[in-house]
Amino acid sequence: MKSASTRALIALALGGVLTLGAFLGTFFWAGVPDFGFVRTAGRAESVRYQGPFKQEVAEARYLQNYVGYRAEVETDGDIVQGTITEASDDAVTLDADGDSVTIDAADVTSAIVSGSTYGRPDWGQKIFYFHVPVAEISFIVFAVAAFYSLRFIMTRRRQYDQKARVAMEVTLTFIMLTMATGILWTRAAWGVWWEWEPRLTTYFIMTLLVIAYFVLRNSVEDEERRALYAAAFSILGFIDAPISFFITRLIPSNHPVIERGGLETPMLVSFIVAQIGMLLVGYAIYQLRMGEMKLTDRIEHAKTLLEG
Amino acid sequence: MASLSGRQFRAMVKKDIVMELRTKEMIMSMGLYSLLTMVVYFVALSQTGSNFDPRDIAAGLLWLAFIFTSMLGLNRSLVHEKDQGCLEALLLSPVDRPVIFFAKVIGNLIFLLAVEALTIPVFGFLFLQGSSLDIGSMALVPLIMFAGSVGIAGVGTLLATMSVNTSGKDFVLPVLFIPLMYPLLLGAVSATAAAITGGPDAMGGFWIGMAWVVGYDVIMLLASYGLYEFIVGA
Repeated sequence: MKSASTRALIALALGGVLTLGAFLGTFFWAGVPDFGFVRTAGRAESVRYQGPFKQEVAEARYLQNYVGYRAEVETDGDIVQGTITEASDDAVTLDADGDSVTIDAADVTSAIVSGSTYGRPDWGQKIFYFHVPVAEISFIVFAVAAFYSLRFIMTRRRQYDQKARVAMEVTLTFIMLTMATGILWTRAAWGVWWEWEPRLTTYFIMTLLVIAYFVLRNSVEDEERRALYAAAFSILGFIDAPISFFITRLIPSNHPVIERGGLETPMLVSFIVAQIGMLLVGYAIYQLRMGEMKLTDRIEHAKTLLEG
Repeated sequence: MASLSGRQFRAMVKKDIVMELRTKEMIMSMGLYSLLTMVVYFVALSQTGSNFDPRDIAAGLLWLAFIFTSMLGLNRSLVHEKDQGCLEALLLSPVDRPVIFFAKVIGNLIFLLAVEALTIPVFGFLFLQGSSLDIGSMALVPLIMFAGSVGIAGVGTLLATMSVNTSGKDFVLPVLFIPLMYPLLLGAVSATAAAITGGPDAMGGFWIGMAWVVGYDVIMLLASYGLYEFIVGA
């Protein structure tokens, strides 16, 4: 009894240190990745200089994206060089050494823009080291809950029902953490709080299923019946978990996917450490809650003995 | 033995149908419910502009009506069994549990299909008048209706068997049922929408949706069949 809870506390401490350490460590080791090419208007202090660029624009109307940049615009063999001061779908105005030249977009045969690229530090990416491990653990613990539910149906031993229930509680905790971090990230990266996108939708359904599991438990009085119903429902509900997990690989989805070899070494190592840490945290929460359940059982048992 | 199970199965389905023909309770309540849903749809759509095409959302509205109507029916069918002590008698009689499960599924499926067969013409009459419809592709609608209803009846029978024994019967069934139904609804709505829109491009979408629904039916029916034995005896 004592050793189990001690082990759980050690796992919690170790997991916390690893998760936090990986998270903080990536700032120093993996750095903050750039958000790619951004325009420099406003927030100049938060952008990083990356270097010069020179590229051809596919269509004249895209020059609107390069107001303030240098451009070489070719019209029927005539080349105008200057800074773009104004551009629309129909025309572009260049400032060529003080002379303002307006060219119809229809006359442009080719245009080359040049200037400097800047990258905005993508602070939001850092949530990757927390959000992804938490989400993975939610799937793993859900699988554990479904496994114990199956064991309960096969053996009808009460301990499996308890284990399944506690695993389900841990699942709910991790699902809520995933949802909270995910919603913050979609706001930062996609500019919206929520999107009905395949991964988000199926994960939301998984959330509802786990909540429904507890609704079901709370509405059945008879203990054995409650355990059986809950076990059956968690097995049925678990069918959604693989769908949610693999759907980003099956259907075109906005949700990022980690590709094999897609992470650089510092990112990969931090990510793995964070995963191990989160797994330990999950295990610790599970064990602590299990210990609490066992103590409650002992108290109940003692009460019945005392009452005679 | 197989013929015995077959006879038991037929007897149980017949029992459900005879009871329904005498009371007409399920068809009446479900049919009326789906009619009332149409009224609510009319109110919901009453403020749409003139260039609004009801075909775009017809599939979603139809399945919305089916899913809520089916929950009403599923609840009713199991409440009867429980209140009148029929389920207990069935469990006491030497009938295999899978036979009970499939008899209840078929019974629920028949009523569900009957209500759907009533709902689709009414829906078309009320909302799709004047829309140009491709009769050839519309003929596929019953196919997806059937496939979707099999899944609804299968999972629904299992969940309704659970929910009649809970303290909040009417509340628990939707909470369990709708999230579990999500994959089926997604496939069924996309296939139905393809069939209603019609055209050669839509057929690919229809069969993808159909495959999705049939896959869901197979997995969920097997899981429900496996679990029913433990649930019904509890």
